[in-house]
Formats: sequence, structure tokens, C-alpha cells
Amino acid sequence: MTPIDLTAVLKDAPIGEWLALSFKRDRIVAHAPNLTDAKEAAHKLGEAMPIMMKAPPPHALIL
Amino acid sequence: MKLPFSFLPVSSDAAFPSRLELKGPILALFLENGNNRVIVYAVVDSGADVCVFPASVARDLKLSLQKDKVSAFSGFGETTQIAYFEEIQATILPMESAEIGADQEPISFPLYAGFCETLEHVGMGLLGQEGFFSRFKVNFHNSQNFFEIV
Repeated sequence: MTPIDLTAVLKDAPIGEWLALSFKRDRIVAHAPNLTDAKEAAHKLGEAMPIMMKAPPPHALIL
Repeated sequence: MKLPFSFLPVSSDAAFPSRLELKGPILALFLENGNNRVIVYAVVDSGADVCVFPASVARDLKLSLQKDKVSAFSGFGETTQIAYFEEIQATILPMESAEIGADQEPISFPLYAGFCETLEHVGMGLLGQEGFFSRFKVNFHNSQNFFEIV
């Protein structure tokens, strides 16, 4: 199966900020230090269902 | 429900000089607390004992976290971390890909989830044993780039 490739869309994402991805995951609609601010900015830009995440750190995560 | 694995960017380093990406079982989760709603990514993590999310998610959902529902846990380091737990509603959203159609039904379930400041840097939730693997059968097909939740 073809995996979802988020590398391109997250390539230049601001690390440490909350990102609002489009529901199709093809672009960052908005970003802000605060999750709610990023989500509301995405809503104002017409993205009704943004997916919220932070840009991953440049190293691997062992959780 | 079948879900594709996702690639996230990562820097190469001395141990993995040609690595540019990491592949993980990540899903989009619609979380609700009454009329407050947010969609976040969560990692399906069989090594996590419980389900936890960054504290920002609790603030966005306007959860009033109670000190009588606090739980301590630890991760890879020695530092003990604190999570505040609350009951929310969760829905696993189908994720379309070239081989998965849009006809899969979302899966909704009540989730007793923890929220902690120390997960802020991750920016994603963790779906662990208590509350997720205790509820669903999960089959990982890593080499075929998908996982299945039954």
C-alpha cells in the first residue's frame, strides 16, 4: 500500500509551533505557538476540519 | 478499518546517514468534549501503557482537569511525568490513499485519556494499551505499509 508521505508538506514547517494541516494533508493552512490559535486561524481561512499536529523534531522519537 | 502508514521527515545522523524519513502508524483522531472538537494525529503505540495527549489538546477541548484524576508515568528517561485523565469521545477517521476508498466507516469510542505537558514537544497523541489496544485488535503490516484496526 502506498504510505501517506508528509515529508514534503512538513519540510519547512516551523518546529515547535502547532500546525493546522488541511484535511487532505497536502498543505499547512495555518500555524501558531498555541493549538487553539492555529485551529481558529485555519477555520477563518475556510478549512473546517484541520488536522492539528506539531512539526516533528529533526531526530527520531522513542516514545 | 485499514489505514496507511505515514512518512514523517527526520534528519540523517551518524547512525543513519541516508535516512530522510520515518515510517509510523499514525491516524487522525477526532476528539470531542461536548461541543468542543479538535482533530489531532495520534501514534498507535503498543509500548505505551495508556492513551495520552499533549496538554494543549485538553485546553482546546475546554476540559476542566481534576487533580483527583492524576496519574504518574515515566517514559524513556528517569523523570516521572504527570497526566490528568478525563473521559472524552474519540473517532478514528478513515484516511484515503491510492488503495483505500472513502467508504470506510469512522470508528467512535469513549476514551479515558490523559493529558500532559511533557508530550507538548511531540505534538501528537499516543494510543496505548489501556483504552485502545484493550478495545481493538490491531494488526500491523509494516512491510506492506498499512495497519488494520478491527
